[in-house]
Amino acid sequence: MINAKNANYLQIDHKVKNIFGLEGVIVLPSLQAWLKFAWTRPYFTKKPKEGYFVWVKKQTDFPLATCLTIASPKVSQNLTNLMVIEKNIKAKANVICNAAKNNLYGSHRAQGKLILKEGASLEYDHFHKWGQKDFVSPDYEFILGKDSSLVYNYQNLLPPKQVSLKTTIHAGENASVNMNFVFQGRNNSKIDIYDVLHLEGENSQGIVKLRLVGKEKSQISAKSSIMAKAAGKGHLDCQGLLVDKGSKISLMPELICHNKKAQLTHEASIGKISEEELNYLRMRGLSEKEAIDLIVSGFLKQ
Amino acid sequence: MSKLLKIKNLHVKGNGKEILKGFDLEMERGQIQALLGPNASGKSTLAQAILGNSKYKVTKGSILFCGKEIKRLSPEKRVKLGLALSWQSPPAIKGVKLSRLLEKISKNRNNTEMIEHLLDREVNLDFSGGEKKAAELAQILALNPKLVIFDEIDSGLDLKKTETVAKTIKKLLLDRKVSVLLITHSGTILNFLKPDITNVIVDGRVICQEKDFRKVLRSIKRYGYDKCKKCKLSSN
Repeated sequence: MINAKNANYLQIDHKVKNIFGLEGVIVLPSLQAWLKFAWTRPYFTKKPKEGYFVWVKKQTDFPLATCLTIASPKVSQNLTNLMVIEKNIKAKANVICNAAKNNLYGSHRAQGKLILKEGASLEYDHFHKWGQKDFVSPDYEFILGKDSSLVYNYQNLLPPKQVSLKTTIHAGENASVNMNFVFQGRNNSKIDIYDVLHLEGENSQGIVKLRLVGKEKSQISAKSSIMAKAAGKGHLDCQGLLVDKGSKISLMPELICHNKKAQLTHEASIGKISEEELNYLRMRGLSEKEAIDLIVSGFLKQ
Repeated sequence: MSKLLKIKNLHVKGNGKEILKGFDLEMERGQIQALLGPNASGKSTLAQAILGNSKYKVTKGSILFCGKEIKRLSPEKRVKLGLALSWQSPPAIKGVKLSRLLEKISKNRNNTEMIEHLLDREVNLDFSGGEKKAAELAQILALNPKLVIFDEIDSGLDLKKTETVAKTIKKLLLDRKVSVLLITHSGTILNFLKPDITNVIVDGRVICQEKDFRKVLRSIKRYGYDKCKKCKLSSN
């Protein structure tokens, strides 16, 4: 986890608190990028109001870090983010979106576009941590050029009351994608996940892994799709774990194939905590809650 | 001084079926006892019932540990009193490393030499039979128990490995005056650990108690468990 004070881009409510690039890395508020670099405009659907622009032009040894925080009551963020990784550059990004307190009734809407040019690779770790009363709606799109690779790890262990997460990935020729989503519902939260991986280039490939935990009367609905237009390979691995009676998980894996040479597979299951594992851990001296927490943490790491 | 363990007229149901039908057993502190029995005689049910597995329901009788009735206590409370069970077939806990579990159950990281190579692996996942038993033993030691129940610790082990396991139990538990109840189907391990008392369970009750385990083993070898009820030892 990053220290927000050292983030390349730190925005609290609507104010940019911290912004700095590295050698070969330009970091700007999105609006400035829109004004300064005309080439970025097609990537923004409209003139951005707030959010960040990160342009990685040269290899950097340091991971990039961005942090978008809601710290005041009833703030409504409407972010447009753009990250561009140039040809053959390897980059790592740690991204945090969070609320500083529990009951701020904040709204966080984010539209993000990430462009990986030919041969580029990106490891993108995205952490969400929200207060119970917030509303969160991120919509991210990744465009992967030829021979590029993406590892996208998204983790949300403290979701808000309502979250709607949309992720779209377009994989070009020989591009590879490894996407891991970890969600833990809690305290009546309502979580809607929709992700789609488009295999658009020859030999593009991707693995999409979802790990969902339903507890404390949370409702999780996840639709995960792989669509193959080219001769690529894709695999969906969706697993849900229901911890208590009032929670609900809906899993909808979807494979759509337009190319007879494509190979798409999926596995999906929803289970409950194993009574045997629970008894075993309790016989190691753990309380029921400690045992459940340990089993859940293990499930999320699989 | 009260007995370490006193089980009286214990009746236990599992999946709605009565498995233990009036089981009796008494153990002194520092004692090692064996419980032999055929398949489905109730050996593992007894072990799980003593530790409080929710799958098994005590319908009658009592389980006193250090003079305290424990049959209504949660498994973790029984463990805190000093009971521990080494499972015959421990479940895998996916995503949880053995080192993490050991940290959770004890801050004392002693006695991990024999399982150093397993610490970074997920608990019991794809462990061989021997590795499972080593991991069980390490967890048991971390609990610092007064009484350990070993459920078929010798099953699936060759003679050499059985001897090694027996030596480890002796060194790490018996030499520290920890009491042991050895549940075994084959009885091979008894040759190395030499129990003070050997019990035979058939159809949910103890039908034989004998100080000389060799006599019991010989009798079982000769008559089989089916004829245990009729043998001379069982009338003692």
